[in-house]
Amino acid sequence: MTDIALQTHGLGVKYGTFHALADVDLRIRRNSVHSIIGPNGAGKTTLFHALTGRVRASSGRIELDGRDITNTSDDDRVRLGIARSFQVTSLFPNLSLRENLRLAAQGRTPWQALAPWRRAESNREALATADEVIGRLALGAVANRLAGELSHGQQRRLEVGMAMASRPRVILLDEPTSGMGIDDIEAMKQLIRDLGRDHTVLFIEHNMGIVMNISDMVTVMRLGRKLVEGTPAEVREDPEVQRAYLGNMITGDIA
Amino acid sequence: MNPLDKPPVQLGLALLTVLVLPLVLKSGILATEILIFAMVVAACNLLLGYTGLLSFGQGIFFGIGTYAAGICLTRWSIPVPVVLGGAALLGALTATLVGWLSIRRQGVYFVMLTLAFSQLFYFVAYTFSDLTGGDNGLLGVPRPSVGGTALNTPWAYYTFVAVCFVTVFALLVMVTQSTFGRTLIAIRENEGRAAAIGFPTRLFKIEAFAISGAVTAFSGALHAMLIGVAPLSNIEYHTSELILIMTIIGGSSSLFGSVLGAGFYLLLADALSTVWPRWLLLLGLVLVTVALFLQRGLWGLVERGYDLIFRRGRSIDSETPAKEH
Ligand SMILES: Nc1ncnc2c1ncn2[C@@H]1O[C@H](COP(=O)(O)OP(=O)(O)O)[C@@H](O)[C@H]1O
Ligand SMILES: [Mg+2]
Repeated sequence: MTDIALQTHGLGVKYGTFHALADVDLRIRRNSVHSIIGPNGAGKTTLFHALTGRVRASSGRIELDGRDITNTSDDDRVRLGIARSFQVTSLFPNLSLRENLRLAAQGRTPWQALAPWRRAESNREALATADEVIGRLALGAVANRLAGELSHGQQRRLEVGMAMASRPRVILLDEPTSGMGIDDIEAMKQLIRDLGRDHTVLFIEHNMGIVMNISDMVTVMRLGRKLVEGTPAEVREDPEVQRAYLGNMITGDIA
Repeated sequence: MNPLDKPPVQLGLALLTVLVLPLVLKSGILATEILIFAMVVAACNLLLGYTGLLSFGQGIFFGIGTYAAGICLTRWSIPVPVVLGGAALLGALTATLVGWLSIRRQGVYFVMLTLAFSQLFYFVAYTFSDLTGGDNGLLGVPRPSVGGTALNTPWAYYTFVAVCFVTVFALLVMVTQSTFGRTLIAIRENEGRAAAIGFPTRLFKIEAFAISGAVTAFSGALHAMLIGVAPLSNIEYHTSELILIMTIIGGSSSLFGSVLGAGFYLLLADALSTVWPRWLLLLGLVLVTVALFLQRGLWGLVERGYDLIFRRGRSIDSETPAKEH
């Protein structure tokens, strides 16, 4: 296996005639934390949509472990080992927290779930995975509550847990800390750092403190294109980036 | 979860219905019709309540089952179990086709597609009158016989349908409890997320259609044997509408709600039609009332009543889950 988990060549996405993403070349190293930063509307979320297959790439190529997945459907990509969380919380609000995670774990073997006679509880592995994620996110106390009744911070953690439950190799987190309180942010930072040890983490974040602290690599985007890429130190020193920040386009301090 | 929604309770209620109907109704035909439509409505509920798909195509499958029985039983003497199995299979295949094409569009366009298919199949049945009898339908559909005796009295046939009903209802309960059924609920709740966690959601919707179509066509075949005719009206758009109305009246959050919906509608229609020829007007008013005040249908009312009587004191405890775990 190569050292590169995920790679794109000239990736582009159009919404109608609008180029939301253009000419993006990325090389994401295996088991690293790679951050994507940039002002609102830079195309970060669109990049995640393209990588996970939610939207079709209108140009370019995507490779997972050297395998071309550009035309692979979104659900097939989950089985190949890509999972994501959403910037805008997207859960099953009328199902319990545990059921949300059980479903996410079952999503890896969806053909099993097509059998209308098989009981959900017979998939012990999915149940065990759900409980393991609950433990890791410290959500045990509310595991049987409906997802829609959880606090904002708990929902954001569950959002990340949904991605973890499919046991991916590459995990894409879209602003996991958005709207979180200080304590929750610190816990999330630890979690992401921890995930980076045995996952390839691609991470969109506005909080520069976290980005500079836990990233191995940082890609800065603007207007659908890659602006700068490098280690946190390199990116911090870059004059283009500093100009972008002076324009107040990204919130948070450059610590 | 309300204890009334538990599978054994749902099944118990279905059994109770089968036993109570003969005690309270004079007409075995009406009682049988209620059980037949209870299956049809429960099958519609699998799409509407569990998967979130508002299908105007249920009449297609009902009509197909009706014709399957009509054609097989009036032209050839194929054994009834084979006819019923064949009707279910044909219903499943048709529903797979209709579902496969319709779910390519979402929301209003999906509904429009199922409506269009409903019209299409009606005209096909109308046009091929050599096969379907056109306006007249197929007359002289015989009742089945068990152990050499034909089930010619209404209550004898009721018993036959009751066994079918309990079996089908139990199967549907199993489907909704399965990992498949729980995935359908996830798709209803948030299809985008269901796809993002790895479920090929289209395939699940198509399978829901297939199961729904099988049960509906199976019931259509039973209906032809009940009334002795395979009428054109069973495949009309109007039948699809009727099935949806019963489903919504009953409430789409539990399968037994569908039994209530079918029973309530048919009993009310029966009572009102003897009182006033313009009874459909009154039925319209009932529907408006349900839509305005009973958004969870009759089943929602039952659940509320249960909570009031049995869980008054405990509702506060159950609302605050234990902190320790
Ligand atoms: N579904 C869509 N249709 C049309 N334009 C879109 C759509 N989604 C996003 N956009 C546009 O694409 C651009 C990039 O959006 P997005 O990827 O969400 O940016 P970011 O996540 O970096 O804030 C924005 O200008 C946005 O308005
Ligand atoms: Mg975004």
